[in-house]
Amino acid sequence: MATTTAAVTLSSDLMSANISVSASSTLMKAGTTADGLDQIEYAVLEIATGDEYDLIANTPTATKASKLYVKNHSIDETYFVAVTQNSQAIGKLYGGDWMFIPADFHDAAADIAITSNGGTNKIEYALIHEGTTLLAT
Amino acid sequence: MATTTASLTINSTDLLTDELSLSTTCTLTQTGTNTGVEDTTGLNRKKVISTAKGTASGQITLYTADDFAAIPYLYIKNLDTTAGNKIFVYDDTTSGDPLQFQLDANDWAFIPMHGDKTYKAYATTNPTSIEFMVIGKDQ
Repeated sequence: MATTTAAVTLSSDLMSANISVSASSTLMKAGTTADGLDQIEYAVLEIATGDEYDLIANTPTATKASKLYVKNHSIDETYFVAVTQNSQAIGKLYGGDWMFIPADFHDAAADIAITSNGGTNKIEYALIHEGTTLLAT
Repeated sequence: MATTTASLTINSTDLLTDELSLSTTCTLTQTGTNTGVEDTTGLNRKKVISTAKGTASGQITLYTADDFAAIPYLYIKNLDTTAGNKIFVYDDTTSGDPLQFQLDANDWAFIPMHGDKTYKAYATTNPTSIEFMVIGKDQ
């Protein structure tokens, strides 16, 4: 079994007491604490403004675990990408922003799509998962 | 001006032939600017007692639509340690209350959200503890 960990740290001086929140998890297959996710799709793409594109082309299986990471590498703070799942808005990443979620691929149509706004955005993404249904040629 | 950062690391020594060591940091800013965020809900810890969306009570409201301007950043973690005891985050504003994502035991998420939607959480097991925080710009 592969062992993959994901950790987040949030730091801020917004409050009188500094915020320092850290969380870490080992990325597991669905319904177990003993078997780690063992497949990954990892890419960097430039996405032209305008059209909506499927970021996740394969169909992850609903009952299996998937962790999605997306980062917008644009350096223009006015550029952003809108992220949708099954045509529902889930996130909006301006230049420099990232997201990490345990994706909920609850049916076959729950693909992840992305729209670039303001100009061409360079996107880095990773899907760490335990199985997808490959699209037939 | 306050400075707020969010850092991510993803590591594995055996998922790929080479070691996976991904790390990134972003400074949380107000929408479309380089000005740092100014407001936060602070860190909350609550028990989710509802096991369905749309029931009368028991869901936890993570964020109320339009509470913050544009992009609020949500951090949430499922504090339960039993596999299968999930937290479901859903959009309570859009028709049908579509699911946004689900957190199995120990899972966490960080996402710049759409600020015009209310987000709530329910669980598979009553109760399931979560911690969460929203950071952004109040309006």
